[in-house]
Amino acid sequence: MLLVNNIYFKRNNRQIINNVSLSLSAHKIIHLTGNNGAGKTTFLKIITNIIELQKGEIYWNGKNINKHPFYFYKNFTFIMDQNTSNNSLTIDENICFWRRLFSSKRNNKEIDSILELLSLNHLKKTLINYLSYGEKRKLELSRLIIEQKKLWVLDEPYNGLDQISINLVNHTLLNHIKLGGMVIFTSHFSPDIPNIENLHLDNHAHL
Amino acid sequence: MHTFNSIIALIIREFKINYRNFSDILSIFLFFLLGIVIFVFSIGENKEIFNEIGIGIIWTLILLSNNLSLRKFYQDDFNDNSIILFHISGLSYEIISLIKMIIIWIFIQLPFFIIIPLAVLLLNIETSNFHIIFLSFLIGSTIITCIASISGSMNLLNNKNFAIGSLIIMILSIPVIIFSVSLINVSDELIKAQLNILLGFMFFFLAITPWICAACIKLALQSK
Repeated sequence: MLLVNNIYFKRNNRQIINNVSLSLSAHKIIHLTGNNGAGKTTFLKIITNIIELQKGEIYWNGKNINKHPFYFYKNFTFIMDQNTSNNSLTIDENICFWRRLFSSKRNNKEIDSILELLSLNHLKKTLINYLSYGEKRKLELSRLIIEQKKLWVLDEPYNGLDQISINLVNHTLLNHIKLGGMVIFTSHFSPDIPNIENLHLDNHAHL
Repeated sequence: MHTFNSIIALIIREFKINYRNFSDILSIFLFFLLGIVIFVFSIGENKEIFNEIGIGIIWTLILLSNNLSLRKFYQDDFNDNSIILFHISGLSYEIISLIKMIIIWIFIQLPFFIIIPLAVLLLNIETSNFHIIFLSFLIGSTIITCIASISGSMNLLNNKNFAIGSLIIMILSIPVIIFSVSLINVSDELIKAQLNILLGFMFFFLAITPWICAACIKLALQSK
């Protein structure tokens, strides 16, 4: 369970996160909303311990993530707003890198079926440089399945996706929370997912 | 075991990316060789001058060539957030920095061992001290890689003025240049002492570089 307790973050004399709290447990999905510059990406980076928070506490399964960062890292996948696949490598090579990096137990057959679902199988040997933004985004999202973590943190996952891919992402998110996972994501798009909890980022947001 | 897997994954990735972008690396060596040729044309055929300043020319050009490799350290991985991904996988920023330094040393510095003899030939330097040249380069190149890594990570904090990174390399490399160049002309008794000083610099930089780079990366992420 992820517990965020009254966190604050200030940058360049601007209060970006002001007293935000939330709790995220199994079978729960949170949609983080907010205007441009409201601090959605910063908030995700804080709760994933990439940016150090200035005030407040964050706990994962009762352990402070600041004191036990690597214990926390083992439990979440972070899909950032930018694609981390390297342009000089092919889809196959990027996936191979991610599998090794996260010691994934997914076998080749499973990877092939993921790529088939994402309509990327025929591009396996293509350099990322030659893919469209949507294709790169889909490849990035495949990390969710490759890493097999309990908590999914997604920053604008729907950017650049067509309707088929959006439906596929929604289906995957639903399936994940059904299996006991938890999801927190930011998006300006409101996906068609039942029982979704909304957290609007402004001053003193609580959930 | 998981950390070991992550380290291997990162090393393989870096090898592949550097191999694919070998043309960038070739341009660094081309810059070095063209620099040597320009010196040959500008000074002329005076063998005595080259014997005196030849090693200095080589070291200066190595330093300038290394400035071209600054981006290869962290900038690209920082821009596309890959560096965050490496960290989440369980690798500390210190380990990431160390791996980057090893890969850059292999791809940028190691080929200089082939090019330096060519430069020595072009400059017509007496070759009796070849082993000293190589030894000083072996130590000096490690120090320069460390300095370039520090400079590359400091550049992440400053996305307006890229020249500052090059200035840092130049300033921190002055002691390396002084001891490496003078190694050729000192008496046999002093060679060992100077090599020890260079080794001291090398171990000092090897010890501090990963920590400085990690701190810079963390700071840069904080303000990204």
